[in-house]
Amino acid sequence: MVYVRAAFITLGFVWGLGVILYAAAWASTIDLPSVEEAGVGPARPAGRTTHLGAGMILLAGLIMVRAVGIWPGDGLFWPASAIVFGSAFLLDQRGIDSRDFLASLVDPGDSSMRRRSIVGVVLLVAGLAIFGSSAVPQLGTTLLAVVITGVGLSVLFGPWIWRLANDLGAERSERVRQEERAEMAAHLHDSVLQTLALIQRTDDPKRMLTLARHQERELRRWLYDRAPEAGTRSLSVLLQSTVDRLEADFDIPIDLVVAGGELEGDLVGPLVSATGEAIANAAKHSGAAKVSVYAEVSVDSVDVWVADQGKGFDTATIGADRRGIADSIIGRMRRHGGSAIITSEPGEGTEIHLHFERERSL
Amino acid sequence: MTTVYLVDDHRLFLAGVRSEIEGAVEIVGSASDVDDAIEGIRDAKPEVVLVDVHMPGGGGLTVIENVIETNPDVRFLALSVSDAAEDVIAMIRAGARGYVTKSITPEELIEAIGRVQAGDAVFSPRLAGFVLDAFADTMSAPVDPELDQLTPREREVLRQIARGYSYKQVARRLSISVKTVETHVSAVLRKLQLSNRHELARWASHRRIV
Repeated sequence: MVYVRAAFITLGFVWGLGVILYAAAWASTIDLPSVEEAGVGPARPAGRTTHLGAGMILLAGLIMVRAVGIWPGDGLFWPASAIVFGSAFLLDQRGIDSRDFLASLVDPGDSSMRRRSIVGVVLLVAGLAIFGSSAVPQLGTTLLAVVITGVGLSVLFGPWIWRLANDLGAERSERVRQEERAEMAAHLHDSVLQTLALIQRTDDPKRMLTLARHQERELRRWLYDRAPEAGTRSLSVLLQSTVDRLEADFDIPIDLVVAGGELEGDLVGPLVSATGEAIANAAKHSGAAKVSVYAEVSVDSVDVWVADQGKGFDTATIGADRRGIADSIIGRMRRHGGSAIITSEPGEGTEIHLHFERERSL
Repeated sequence: MTTVYLVDDHRLFLAGVRSEIEGAVEIVGSASDVDDAIEGIRDAKPEVVLVDVHMPGGGGLTVIENVIETNPDVRFLALSVSDAAEDVIAMIRAGARGYVTKSITPEELIEAIGRVQAGDAVFSPRLAGFVLDAFADTMSAPVDPELDQLTPREREVLRQIARGYSYKQVARRLSISVKTVETHVSAVLRKLQLSNRHELARWASHRRIV
């Protein structure tokens, strides 16, 4: 590719002929890499003769153009093409690491790369020197030397410096990755490893189960980032955090299922508090192995059922302590315009149904 | 005894389930990756396959899709930690006859395997919640009312299951027979598999379950 471009640039010195040709080639969507495949590409081992052929064709074309008369003059053209091709040789570093670029100039092992680099440097320096001495003698020699040296250095080291900067960027992103890994390790240490240590020191299977469930929830939320932004007050989010808290407090698994739409607004607070009290009630008194919570939000109502399959009780003769809890659940729901129905029978478990009518406008 | 094949990429869990249900069912093989599972199930021809939802190399979905092509009479029960709704619904639509979470007790798991083997559907509270959500009232008019809507009775049965009740308890609470409960959930399973309401797919991809 780079050689094809170099050829076009060289032709460009011939009153812009190359630019026109390049534009024509581009416009007619001639695939430049395919030109390379046809013989200009230097990377192909079998391509030595075809390189020579392509060079000859280019040379023949140049001589023809020169004979016709559209020619900028030998003094400008030859050094210019030397510079262009010299740069091309240096820029052509396919498959070679930037750090090897300078090393290749002195490394005897990599002969093809060294040859390419040396030919490039020689062409470049020769081209610049001829330019300096003949084409523009009217310029001050010092200024010229500075410009020539600057151009030469930038062509020589530019690609190398550019690649070095790229490598630095890669190193920086690698460091970021390492920091992320360190953060993850720290998190796992603070949470999962601590919990595993706790589990190993516990003899109580129920406590083990609760620890494991709690840790699982926390890890899952951390991994999949399901945690909502701070300040989210939706029903499902608040129910989940209430369930997490009570599960830890009472050492009992709580199954939470939420279906239907999302609910936000004034009803969420009292509903979540009442649900929490119902769960606590079941965890404390039912003796059940787990508590099930199901919440459903539909267009015109919101329902939460808190059910356990524990020992149950006779709702007509409940004790004073449980009366209080029942009243606080029922009272809370009533104050906000809802209802709570407690269904229970001895030996049949208990279910508390919390219900709000929704106004259509909500 | 029911022949069962286990598929799970967590070997510890595989060993745990095996020890819990061995004796009540006959375990004819197990695999811990997708390719082994497909081959092993075709060889062992079990009645029921317990399959994990999430596995490297395509997950349980790939296993179900490939096996059902060649062995349509093998029945699948998805068994997993609480997963995203879209993954579970995809498993059911591919042909799984139920979904239970890994926190299920051994007795419940054995019962569920029996149910799947008999051709019934197994709905855990979570799956019931997913389905109620997917077939919510608020969605636009169904394309095929026969398949795209749940009957009030089916809805009521699912609500009971979501509230944590077993099929037997649901039957008693609704004063119907267990057989009728099974008929209802099998009908729901069929709708879930055959319904082509586009909302179901859209719901599944947008739903972010707690």
